[in-house]
Amino acid sequence: MTLPESPLGAELRVTGVRLPAAHAFRLNEMGIRLGTRAHVTQHAAFGGRVIAVAGSRYALDGETAALIDVEPVKCRE
Amino acid sequence: MSCHAPASVRVLGRSPIATMPDVLRVLLVGGPNVGKSTLFNALTGARQHTTNAPGTTVELATGTWRTAARDTREPATEHAIVDLPGTYSLLALSADEQVTADAVRELEQSSAEVTSQPGVAVVVLDATALPRSLYLLAQVAGTGVPIVVALTMLDLAEAATDSATTAAEPQTLAATLGAILGVPVIPVDARNRADGGLQELADAVHEVAAYPRRVTGIAPLATSCGGTTGTVAQQDNGKPGDGAGGSKAELGTVRVVRPDSAVPDLAEELAHAETLFGWVERVVEQVTTGRGPDDEAPAGASGPSHGPLHRTFSDRVDTVLLNPWAGIPVFLSVVWLLFELTTKFAAPLQGAIGQLVNGPLASVVTWLFGLLGLGDSWVQGLLVDGVLVGVGTVLTFLPVMAVMFASLGVLEDSGYLARAAFVADRAMRSLGLDGRSLLPLIIGFGCNLPALAATRTLPSARQRLLTGLLIPLTSCSARLTVYVLLASAFFPQHAGTVIFAMYLVSVLLVLGGGLLLRRTAFRDVHAGPLMLVLPPYQRPHLRTLGMSVRLRVGSFVARAGKIIVLTMIFVWALMAVPVTGQHSVGDVPVADSLYYSVASGIAPVLAPAGFGNDHAAAALMTGFVAKEVVVGSFAQSYAVAAPNDPARAGNLGAQLRASFDGSSGGHGGAAALAFMVFVLAYTPCVAALAEQRRLFGWRPTASALGVQLAGAWALAVLVFQVGSRL
Repeated sequence: MTLPESPLGAELRVTGVRLPAAHAFRLNEMGIRLGTRAHVTQHAAFGGRVIAVAGSRYALDGETAALIDVEPVKCRE
Repeated sequence: MSCHAPASVRVLGRSPIATMPDVLRVLLVGGPNVGKSTLFNALTGARQHTTNAPGTTVELATGTWRTAARDTREPATEHAIVDLPGTYSLLALSADEQVTADAVRELEQSSAEVTSQPGVAVVVLDATALPRSLYLLAQVAGTGVPIVVALTMLDLAEAATDSATTAAEPQTLAATLGAILGVPVIPVDARNRADGGLQELADAVHEVAAYPRRVTGIAPLATSCGGTTGTVAQQDNGKPGDGAGGSKAELGTVRVVRPDSAVPDLAEELAHAETLFGWVERVVEQVTTGRGPDDEAPAGASGPSHGPLHRTFSDRVDTVLLNPWAGIPVFLSVVWLLFELTTKFAAPLQGAIGQLVNGPLASVVTWLFGLLGLGDSWVQGLLVDGVLVGVGTVLTFLPVMAVMFASLGVLEDSGYLARAAFVADRAMRSLGLDGRSLLPLIIGFGCNLPALAATRTLPSARQRLLTGLLIPLTSCSARLTVYVLLASAFFPQHAGTVIFAMYLVSVLLVLGGGLLLRRTAFRDVHAGPLMLVLPPYQRPHLRTLGMSVRLRVGSFVARAGKIIVLTMIFVWALMAVPVTGQHSVGDVPVADSLYYSVASGIAPVLAPAGFGNDHAAAALMTGFVAKEVVVGSFAQSYAVAAPNDPARAGNLGAQLRASFDGSSGGHGGAAALAFMVFVLAYTPCVAALAEQRRLFGWRPTASALGVQLAGAWALAVLVFQVGSRL
């Protein structure tokens, strides 16, 4: 599933980033990488999402969020 | 990672380093919103100025950092310091980031030269977001420049509930990091009235300048990228050492390649970045757990670590401010508040200052000239009607600029500005602009000057420039008086509709102008994915805010103010020189002045738009100085009293109808509409132009002025030619 499809507050793991390479790379540099654990903390207008990663909050517009694949972390790992 | 910047970014031939004085050079490097500029202001005080980075429109603050000597017998030392644009990475994605990357690279080169003055990079680390900050530190360290780390946001890190440094005591965290990194790590709180760690930072910079230290675990390349391969990810995991500095084996040694090659290879960059991420994770792990790199990690912890979610105060506030339904109304309310503050709140202060300068102050100066026997001389005219009017104009803008800078400072410091960019992102995306552009564009409908000042909140220089070129197309309130006068005089039954239409035209011009510029001179500006770090909400610090407002207002007075005063003197000279009749210099009726003669020369150019008469041309020339005085200029040129209420133009309205009918072949209404469109589009006032020049330089300002004049003329001709045929 993608970030916009994820429920608020659920613990997620990033499994794919389908952004253009340069932007995917920047996302990496900012700390959002494959395997990164994240929580969606806020739904915003037009599909925008705020996610929590390692204490930081990242705002992603709806189109960008839709290109980030995640899976739920089912149990406390 | 290969050693290069993405091909889309121009690699500059020079960096800010080249323009710095030949003393110890200090670069402030860090991510956005890490407190870098606050630190810079605290270090330099008033000894700073803003310039554009060589060959760019990227604004840089440079200054002198005066550090006291420990020994009172020694003099204070001065360093040249520059506040580089915030970036998450030295692999630049924008011109602003490229300036930072170039500066670090040039510091590295100049540091390597024996004859050159040493330089130190002060890398600012955000304690609430250590992993992201450490990645940039690793890149800077990889260039081999001497490094001191300034650790900021410690108060927020202490209060945070889910960051890597949760509940860490500042000094302990700094000491731990310093031991792990092997370079001085100084906790700083630049907002603190006491030293806030600034003396310790100065000592560390002195020490590192004399005895350069390297970040443990990051080995710089000895060769450049030009003809060598980019060595990546060489690690030798050793046992955790004492961390006192120097044990590269402790964290594994990562070789960093310089970001200055011309051949992009993202896959290689990503592979190398992974090694840096690994280094970052090992550092964070040691900070938080003390576990060494060879210790077994907990099961399932294959990805970057992340604990359970703790909802913070900022999360709770964001449930309202970023709510899909409430977020946009809240944003519009904030913009409305700014609009009101810069117009209604500042207006009485502007009026009071204007009355003081033009009333008592002018009277006193005139009286003094009388005492000196120079009453009614051209010298008095120059000083009272030229210099004093210019200074008065600058002073009247101070309240509105101060209010704007303070308001923006509050929005920025509180953390809301980043949210505004997020909320308004969709609205500005079609123009390729950041969501934050909406804020200055709306403020422009109040006054273009503070709106231009508000562009400083935009993260990219190109976006700042594009927004700054569109702002003059927003119909400021000063233009409203012209609309009211002409609409009431020519369309008394539909004045409201005409005025509303002018605002609609203004919006269309902004959109049309934006789209046109995007397809021509700004093809490189496009809205990429919005990936924005939201800083935690915090209370703005009044002292820091006050200092920032003082410095920015001072910069406006020093740079834009000079141009305003000179322009006023020039206008006075035009009005003071007689070309017809028997008059002495400085005592000339407007109709006999050089000013009016120039207006007469311009009038034929305006004939295709239907308002090719001397009165209209003279009013437009006056409008270049300030739109507020167009009504007065009309009254002066028709030799009638200026109406207190432009909606009741009286005799002036009759005069206007007569001259516009005369110059348009009986289509006065169409000519009036064309005139209003021209006033909307031809040029902002001289103060706004001076601010544009201050922010963007002469060339973009002059080019924009030329394009606007031509565009306004074409639009006015179109309106008149179509209107007169209906």
